[in-house]
Amino acid sequence: MLNSSGYIFRETINSMKRNPWLSLASVVTVMVSLVILGYSIFFLANAANMAKSFESELEIGAFVQIEYTPEEVQDLKSQIEQMPGVESVTLVTKEQALEEFGKTIGGSQGNIVSDVGGTNPFPDKLTVKVTDPQNVKALASSLESNPGLYKVRYGQDFVDQLLKFTQWLRWIGFGVVAAFGVAAVVLISINVKMNVFSRRREIQIMKLVGASNSFIRWPFLIEGLALGLAGGTLAAVIVGLGYNWITVYVQSTLTFLPVVQNELLFRQVSIGLLLGGMVMGALGSLFSLQKFLRA
Amino acid sequence: MIQLTNVSKIYLNGARALVDVNLKIGKGSFVFLVGPSGAGKSTLIKLLYREETPTRGQVQINSKNLVRMKDREVPYLRRNIGVIFQDFKLLPNKTVFENVAFALEVIGVAKSEVRNRTLATLELVGLKAKETAYPHELSGGEQQRVCVARAIINNPALLVADEPTGNLDPDTAWDIMELLYDINKRGTTIVMATHARAIVNKMQKRVIAIENGRVARDEEKGGYGYDA
Ligand SMILES: Nc1ncnc2c1ncn2[C@@H]1O[C@H](COP(=O)(O)OP(=O)(O)OP(=O)(O)O)[C@@H](O)[C@H]1O
Ligand SMILES: [Mg+2]
Repeated sequence: MLNSSGYIFRETINSMKRNPWLSLASVVTVMVSLVILGYSIFFLANAANMAKSFESELEIGAFVQIEYTPEEVQDLKSQIEQMPGVESVTLVTKEQALEEFGKTIGGSQGNIVSDVGGTNPFPDKLTVKVTDPQNVKALASSLESNPGLYKVRYGQDFVDQLLKFTQWLRWIGFGVVAAFGVAAVVLISINVKMNVFSRRREIQIMKLVGASNSFIRWPFLIEGLALGLAGGTLAAVIVGLGYNWITVYVQSTLTFLPVVQNELLFRQVSIGLLLGGMVMGALGSLFSLQKFLRA
Repeated sequence: MIQLTNVSKIYLNGARALVDVNLKIGKGSFVFLVGPSGAGKSTLIKLLYREETPTRGQVQINSKNLVRMKDREVPYLRRNIGVIFQDFKLLPNKTVFENVAFALEVIGVAKSEVRNRTLATLELVGLKAKETAYPHELSGGEQQRVCVARAIINNPALLVADEPTGNLDPDTAWDIMELLYDINKRGTTIVMATHARAIVNKMQKRVIAIENGRVARDEEKGGYGYDA
């Protein structure tokens, strides 16, 4: 095999020169499938991370019945403060909420009230801080049965939604990656097949003079691997640089969003993309080499 | 060295190319296969280098059974069998040297050895001066010499030839026959299918005539036999 490596290398380069556009198409398809895979992985990692950080939030938001008077609200507040497991309760009144809202969209308070139909649509909100995150769920459900509150929100709600969403995303991502992956394998296989075809005379003579099947196969296998690896490398670079850019952007604008910056994950994903490319390449060549090399 | 026992070959389309053929060919012999077109000569040749396998019967070369042989063993069989064709089967974008060296390169022979053996073989077939020429720059006879050089560079025990002079004028054909005669003298068994009456008659070698897939005649020092 050592004596043949030069031959194999030359053949690989030659075959790529023969069909440059097809080679390019193969590389790009591999790349697209792996870029989607890479970003999906990072997105899922972030979603999981976000879910975790929201789970650890110790707050429950409780919305007070809209017809309650300020005195009743105060009563309710001190009632909740007495409940076991509660650390503190803060009140955000409907007026404060409206003011906040006004600030975010700009303009004066009176205008907003008339804009939204003459009455303040915001309820009074009690933010309940909990001593132990374990108690969030139990406390939330006992608050839900309180007649003075019409709605109780806590981290778990959001976390559940997020998890449901990531579940969906996982399947969609998987489907898209699989579709592109299959396309990539097919393209590589066409690529290799065309090279087998253009070299059929040579192959015929190789078989005639007793070249082993593996010797005949190697250049084609390596061609597939090289195409796959090229796609994988491009994908790793694009995903790496792109993710870096997104991270910087998110951290400077949406500062409250926790972003995963894990060196190990980074390296694992990069290696995974390279390997993924090579697997697609190997599969592509194997499919096209299967039948033409029986003695 | 070659033994065919009750060999029949029926192609997938139903063509009965060989019917119950029994043959023994000794080591170092020179054998002509003659017979009308479609008789089964090429089919018999193909059985010898296992391009085809018989539908029934056994083919043995040097006591190796070619029917039971696994596909992955075939390359090693072929390293010991040279094959020559009517249409030479040279690679057009390789020089004479590269075409011949190719047979060694692809079985993993070391580079330095490839060079020496290729030059020695080109010398033997009388093509040393054309080393750097491409096939299209050669005459038919010269192209056939390249094919012969490629076939014998591994010192095969058996050389099979399917109408090697079919595309050559009579003089050039004789040059090739002299070359094959020399190769046979050095101990290589040669089986050659041919329609070249003059060559068969002159060389006085064993002649096996095949008709409708059967051995119709088998003579030591025979002649072509069919009247013009
Ligand atoms: N690959 C094939 N598939 C189907 N039939 C075939 C195949 N090769 C040969 N045959 C048939 O087998 C028979 C013998 O063919 P073969 O080529 O062995 O004859 P031949 O003696 O070499 O003829 P020629 O002198 O014309 O070369 C013919 O009837 C031919 O049509
Ligand atoms: Mg024939």
